[in-house]
Amino acid sequence: MPKADFITGLILIGLSLYVFVESWRMPRLEHLKIHPLSVPGLVPAFLASVILIFGTALVIRSILRGGHRLGFTFEGLRQIFNKPNNQRLLITAILSIVYAVLLIGHLPYWLATGLYIFLFIILFEWKQGMDRVSWRRYFVSGILIAIFSSLAITLVFERLFLVSLP
Amino acid sequence: MTGLIDNLARFFSAIVGFITPLALLHIGWATLLGIIIGALPGLTATMGIALITTLTYKLPADLAILVLICVYVGAIYGGSRTAILINIPGTPANAATTLDGFPLAMQGLAGRAMGVATSGSVLGSFIGILFLATIAPILGNYALKFQSFEFFWLSIFGIVISGHLTALEDPIKGWIAGFLGLLVAMVGQEGIHAYERFTYGTTELLGGFALIPAMVGAFGFSEVLSVMQNPPAKMAKAPKDSVFPKILDVLRYWRTIIRSGLIGTSIGIIPGVGEDIGAWVSYAAARRKSKEKEKFGKGSIEGLMAAETGNNAVVPGAIIPALTLAIPGSAPAAVLLAAMFIHGLRPGPLIMVESPQFVYQVVAMVFFATLAIFIYGVGLSRLLLKVLAIPRSRLMPIVFVLCAIGSYAITSRLFDIYVMIGFGIVGYILRRMRYPMAPLVLGIILGDILDKNLRRGLVLTDGDLTPFFTRPICLVLWVITLSSILLSITPVRHGLMEGFSWLRLKTYQLLKR
Repeated sequence: MPKADFITGLILIGLSLYVFVESWRMPRLEHLKIHPLSVPGLVPAFLASVILIFGTALVIRSILRGGHRLGFTFEGLRQIFNKPNNQRLLITAILSIVYAVLLIGHLPYWLATGLYIFLFIILFEWKQGMDRVSWRRYFVSGILIAIFSSLAITLVFERLFLVSLP
Repeated sequence: MTGLIDNLARFFSAIVGFITPLALLHIGWATLLGIIIGALPGLTATMGIALITTLTYKLPADLAILVLICVYVGAIYGGSRTAILINIPGTPANAATTLDGFPLAMQGLAGRAMGVATSGSVLGSFIGILFLATIAPILGNYALKFQSFEFFWLSIFGIVISGHLTALEDPIKGWIAGFLGLLVAMVGQEGIHAYERFTYGTTELLGGFALIPAMVGAFGFSEVLSVMQNPPAKMAKAPKDSVFPKILDVLRYWRTIIRSGLIGTSIGIIPGVGEDIGAWVSYAAARRKSKEKEKFGKGSIEGLMAAETGNNAVVPGAIIPALTLAIPGSAPAAVLLAAMFIHGLRPGPLIMVESPQFVYQVVAMVFFATLAIFIYGVGLSRLLLKVLAIPRSRLMPIVFVLCAIGSYAITSRLFDIYVMIGFGIVGYILRRMRYPMAPLVLGIILGDILDKNLRRGLVLTDGDLTPFFTRPICLVLWVITLSSILLSITPVRHGLMEGFSWLRLKTYQLLKR
């Protein structure tokens, strides 16, 4: 955790400095004759200062605990990606992001959704050494669940909740 | 006296108002859905309410809020089933329930444990309802006296206390989460001069990040990622004994029930400190006071009763500040508050002036949801086991599809789906690094209140900070806030302890002389 805290601390310091500079650059709206203490940048600058303090505290604390010795190696990175739970996480993230960002809005909604559910089930329910019968069952159940859920969600949102689907 | 009679009349008229076939139908399905959401590990009350908000926004306001409250109460109760049967809390609120619930199930007493959870949840909720009905109107009237100075400190107090209590072992992470939430709220047109902050010319960001897609991401998508990353949960077995609550358990532990109900409600009232903390504090208090301390953690009925009474009592407690100050008492209450705004309701200090009837409608809604969890608690066991048996590889893609379309549904903007994804990824990373989510949500809600009131306060006093520190409520709030921060800094805490011991020694020596 100290390593993660060290990196988070640095990111927070960077973020707070950025917000502070942006707040400083915000207009003071003098031409509107507003009170100088009601300028739009006041509160973001205040929040940036507080986050700067917390970020610095996090960095100092993690340095005291040895978190600044990050020791990144390609071998370490490879080990992280080799763990089955991290692989599951990565597959879920990639599939979901591709569905939400690339498929929705570019394919008909029912098709995009059916495709996503089908791929999700197929990828996560695949087992090594399946015989012909289990292969068929695995494939057909994936297709059926995908078609049924996709059509049900499409119909419910379109007809019942009157949402114009993307 | 007249006020009390008026309030009672409002309460009964609200109760009668919901005895219609349509309202009862909504109570039925929504509470059941809430229980299922709560029971499924990975689906939390906050996520449930956020998702269902997107599905119910075309319903009339009173029915939509009724549905959401039923989901809320149902989810907090539903999580106890998973906690007892498979030792995994269905929602974070049921973490303390696993300590004694699962050992009881291992002893073949799963049915009795579920009965205790049902009676605890129902009674805890009723205690909370009593306070919701009595405190909310008083607080509402009192809040009319609050000015900018009080609202400024209330938002800082909320963030600091919520940050501290939701990250007890490392409060700095709770505070960081809270202040990041406040910063997120700075995006978009500000409320005094309508200047567009951090929008960089994008029209989608003019209104800031929409709360519901952000919540669906932080609590939905990030949970989908966590659930798929973790190893699959064990299968639950059906209980062999009766799940009907036993009167004897209630009579024997009535003190624990009342104490936990009071603790839960009070914790609910504290901004952003939710059901999980309510359960833990009630559990700890029950253990301290118990005559059977040795049974705790090994299958204590008293411990289970305390945890389940404590978490459900938080629900009405958390609604009190949400209704009267527009400051939510917990993360699910934050989404509920956002849903109220979406439906054109205006919770806040003016609620008792503008629509006192609504406060009692909410009381009646929690009342009906509580009755429903009792009925389901007694009758529903097999169906939940069937739901728990659905493989996550089939459930999670459907949950994510709902997260995406739910975020889109409110304003029909693809941009909101991207907001959901962004908050989901950031929420997942923060959660992995043990940053609590409740202060973040609270921050997003309180950002606007803090922004307007700090600037208004400074303009009112022409830059003089004195009223911020000397007005009585401000004084109490900043002293508690500062103490919370100082006491969590180890050298300061040790110094204070040493100073206190030295003072005690000197006083003792003086008295002895």
